[in-house]
Formats: sequence, C-alpha cells, structure tokens
Amino acid sequence: MTTVKPILLAEDNPRDAELALAAMEEQHIADKVVVCHDGAEVLDYLYCRGIFASRQQGNPVVVFLDLKMPKVDGLEVLRTIKNDVNLKPIPVVMLTSSREERDLAQSYALGANAYVVKPVEFHQFITAVKELGIFWGVINEPPPEGSEPIE
Amino acid sequence: MESVTQERPAAPAPIRSEPVPDSSPSPTPKTGGLMEWFTHWPIERRVLAGFGLVFAGIVVISAISYRNTAVLIENSRLDTKSHELVQLLGSVGEALGAAESGHRRYLVTGDESYLTSYRTVVEQMPEYLRYLRGLTSEGPEQQARVATLEQLIARQLGAEEGAIAQREKHGYEGVRHLALSGAAKKELEGIHRLMTELDSAEQQALRSRVAQSAGSTRNTIALLGLGALLQLVLLASVYFLIHHDVAERRRVATELQSRGELLQAANKELEAFSYSVSHDLRAPLRHIDGYAALLSKAAGEALNDKARRYLQTISDSAKQMGQLIDDLLVFSRMGRQDMLRTTVNLDQLVKTVLHDLRLDLQGRTISWTMHPLPEVLGDPAMLRQVFVNLISNALKFTATRPETKIEIGAVRRNSGEAEVFVRDNGVGFDMQYVNKLFGVFQRLHRNDEFEGTGIGLANVRRIIHRHGGRTWAEGVLGQGATFYFSLPLARSLR
Repeated sequence: MTTVKPILLAEDNPRDAELALAAMEEQHIADKVVVCHDGAEVLDYLYCRGIFASRQQGNPVVVFLDLKMPKVDGLEVLRTIKNDVNLKPIPVVMLTSSREERDLAQSYALGANAYVVKPVEFHQFITAVKELGIFWGVINEPPPEGSEPIE
Repeated sequence: MESVTQERPAAPAPIRSEPVPDSSPSPTPKTGGLMEWFTHWPIERRVLAGFGLVFAGIVVISAISYRNTAVLIENSRLDTKSHELVQLLGSVGEALGAAESGHRRYLVTGDESYLTSYRTVVEQMPEYLRYLRGLTSEGPEQQARVATLEQLIARQLGAEEGAIAQREKHGYEGVRHLALSGAAKKELEGIHRLMTELDSAEQQALRSRVAQSAGSTRNTIALLGLGALLQLVLLASVYFLIHHDVAERRRVATELQSRGELLQAANKELEAFSYSVSHDLRAPLRHIDGYAALLSKAAGEALNDKARRYLQTISDSAKQMGQLIDDLLVFSRMGRQDMLRTTVNLDQLVKTVLHDLRLDLQGRTISWTMHPLPEVLGDPAMLRQVFVNLISNALKFTATRPETKIEIGAVRRNSGEAEVFVRDNGVGFDMQYVNKLFGVFQRLHRNDEFEGTGIGLANVRRIIHRHGGRTWAEGVLGQGATFYFSLPLARSLR
C-alpha cells in the first residue's frame, strides 16, 4: 500500500478547524488531515520548508483554502499554487464564509477547482465538510504523482 | 451601517406619497422688495430683461435720431427754396427796374430800341410769377405778399403799356408829364417795398431754421452720448450677471465632483465593511451552533430535558442571527448591484414566480384573480424578487384564513408609469403603523404568529426606488392588505 496522501486544510480559526476535524472524524478521514494556520504555513508545506522541511515528499490530495488568513491570504496562496507547474494539478477548494461575488469571481479566475460557502448551521456545515472530504479525499482520483505537465 | 439604515424606521419616507405638484412660490412684486423680486428671477430671465432694456434703448434713440435727422433734411430743403426765392426776387426787381427806365427813355426819345427790356419783362413776367408762387407755396404770409405783388406788377406794366400807347398816338407832348417820373411811380414803390418785405421775411425764416437745426443736432449728439453710456452700463450689468452665474456654476460643479469622490470613497468603505460582516460575523455564529451541537452529542444522555432545551435555544438563536446577517447582506447588495434596464413582461414574470412558489401553495385553497399586467422597464431578477416577496407575504399572512384570496393587477395612473398591486384577504394591518411596513427589520407581528426577519418589504422598497418608482400600502386590520408599487412603463398599457 502506498502512503496515504494527506488532505491539507488551511484554516486560521482553531474553532473552525476543530469543527471541520470533528466532521471528518465521523468519516474516519481526520487522520489524513494536515492543518495549517495561515497562508505562509500552507506554502511552507507545499514547498517542504520551515517546519515542514522534513515531511514526506508528495503533494496533498486536495487543499481546502480559507480566503481570509493572516500573513498570506487565500487568494495569494491560490495564485502561487496555480502559477507553479508542480503544484498546479493539486485540486484547490475554497472553503470560506464569504458569499461576495467578487471573491467567487476572483477565485475561479485564478483557477480554483471549487468554491464552498461555510454554512452557519452546524449540521449543514458538518454535512458539507463530510461530503467535501469524501469526494476530494476518497472519490476523486488525484493527479498522478510526479506527472509531467503536458504543454 | 449606512446602507441598511438608510431608510431608518424613525423617519420613514412618506408612503402613499402622491406626486406633489411643484409649488414654487411665484414671487409677487412688492414696493420696496422690487430688488428682492428681481433677484428671485432665474438667470435667463434676468439676462433677457437686460438685453430687452438695451434693445428698447436702441429703438428709442434710433427713433429720436431719425426724427431729428428728418427735421435737418427738411430744413435744408426749405433753405434751398429760400435762397432761390431771394435770388429770384433780385432778378425780378432788376428786370422791372430795367423795363421802367427803358420805357421812360422811350417816352423821351421815341427810340423803339429802348423798349426791349420792357417787352422782355412782359413776356417773362408770367414765368417769374409762377416761380414765385411755387417757392412761397409753403408760407401763407409770403403767398399773400406774392399775390399783392402780382397785382402791383400787373398794374405797373398796364400803366407803362398805356403810356407807350399814348406816346405812339400823341408823340412826346402827350406824355411829357409822365416821361420824367415814370407811368406808375406809386406801384413801383409798392413793388419795391413788398419785395424788401418778402426778402427780409425769407432771411428771418432762414435764420430761425439755422438755429433750429443747430439745436436739433446738439440734442442728437447729447442723446447718442447718453444712450451709449446707458447701453454700456446695461451691458456691463448683464455681463456681470452672466459672469456671476458662470462662476457659481463652476463652483457647484467643482463641489459636486468632490462630493462624488467622497461618495465613491464612502461606497468603497461600505463595500469593505459588508465584506467583513459577511466573513467575520458568520464565523462565531457557526461556532456557537457547532459547539452547542458537539456538547449535546458529547453530553448525550447526561443532559436533562431542560438542559437540552437550553442548548436548542442557543442553536436556534445562532441560526436566526445567521439568517439576519444573510438578509442584511442581500439588502445591502440590492443597493449596490449593477442594474439592468430591459423590457420586462410582468405577466410572464408572475407566472414563473408562482411556479417557483408551488411548494408553498400545496394544501392551500387559494382563489387567484389575475388582471393583465403591463410591460415595464427594469431589471428582471430584481423585479422577480419584488413579486416573490409580495406574493410570499400574501401567502404567509393569509395562512390562517379558510379560503385565501389573492388579486394581482395594474392601473395606469399617468402616461409612462404603471401602478401594480398585490391584494390579499389576510390578517391586514392597522393603518397607523403603515410607515413602519417598509423599514428594515420592521415587523408588525410577533415571531410566533408569523415568522420572518422583516427584510422583505425593505427589499421591495429599495428595488422599486432604484427603478425610479414608489411603494405604498393600504390595509384594514383583520380584513386584508394591498401593496402597491409604481414602475416606468415600457409602452402604454393597452
């Protein structure tokens, strides 16, 4: 069995992170989740530097990205990912409280693969996170590792 | 939150406000307040009045100048006549003198050659007299003198003719007494006296006309000078009026521009504000709801019914606040969103709305009365929201009725505008609260009677206002309500 590919969750709010993990736990995929608390940490993870310098090589199966984060915000991270040939294939799902049209438009323009508004109601939130985890972490086939970008 | 409390309930815009006729008070001229009255005039009228005065001045000055010039021309014509008369009088006098002395020499010598002058005078006299009459035709006194002169000349010539005839018949002896003094001495003296009178009268007239012409010319020059000065003053005041107005307009334009910039900045700020509301306010609510759910799950059976109810209330309140925030964001977006302006078929629109609401209609007995609706100008999505809100309201507030009656129709009040109404037979409302109906989060019913956040009619009003229309309502408590809105028509109703 190959190594389990992690789900990267970028969420600066520890409570939201905890609630998301609680949801994933019900699906028994919580152990796959790596939580980053700001945009800079996400980039450190993806480029294997800083506290992630010694992590196992390989891209996450999916990145759940909050828009509003300290240091480097979600759109900035998204732009970096989609401008890097090695990171570009990683599916990026925006998971945010913002319903603003501008955020939606910008995210898709930068190459986001999905955009999910966090529901206020807990049960809906749980359901959304569960479904996202199952779809992107289990159902969806991630891009093959080390695949050469087709120019 | 400016965008939301724009229509704050404390000072509601008057509902049912019929278009008030523009009652700009017509300024009434008062003695003493004349200047004030003038300053109330619009700039166009003041400039027009200024130019009118200048024009009137030009007309008056031209008329007077024309009259004075006409007098000068007439005087000059009369002067020419006078000079001719004086000259003619000289010639007549000379000719008569020559004829008289010639005829006396003939009387003495009998030499016929001395009669040449006399014969010439007799021959030419009618012509001379005709000239004289013509030249004096405009002065009755001079005319009378000429008439007398004519008689005297005729008599003198007659006497001379008689003397010449006697000399031929009787020779020198017959006319000896006449030869020295002349045949008509008395007449000749009268003729000379009359001619002097004619001459001096004409000179007198000439002198007075010269004086009149000089006076008239002086008047004209003075008038032209004064007129030019007045025109200059008037034109200068008109210039200052226009200059003042242009400066004022420029100032207003600059101010408008700076205000527009301020408004744009405020709008940007508002957008950033609603963005952070949308993002940040929702997170703690999600946590309250989430942790309440987690607690209820973790504590599980350990909780009693009371504790479970408390947890449920925490959760419900968080959800309700989430709903309020969402509603506010929609309301705020309604004010900022770009608006389309196309022809919207309201009949079609209402049909799709009813189709979308079909789940709410299930199990209800509803009698619909649908009148034909016009085509209007507007944003289809926004107008759809108006009908969704109004029809949902009608359905909500008739839920307690055994039979629901909803009527939708339109009346054309004036050209270019349609009034659409949605009427129901629901619980209605007390007209004393009519001003609160369209306010944000204003509700006339308790939440356990009819649920809702109270944003629906505020959205209706905001959308209709953005379309340039009005909203108002009529209701009777316990008998139903009618909600009206007006919209610009795409074309006439029928």
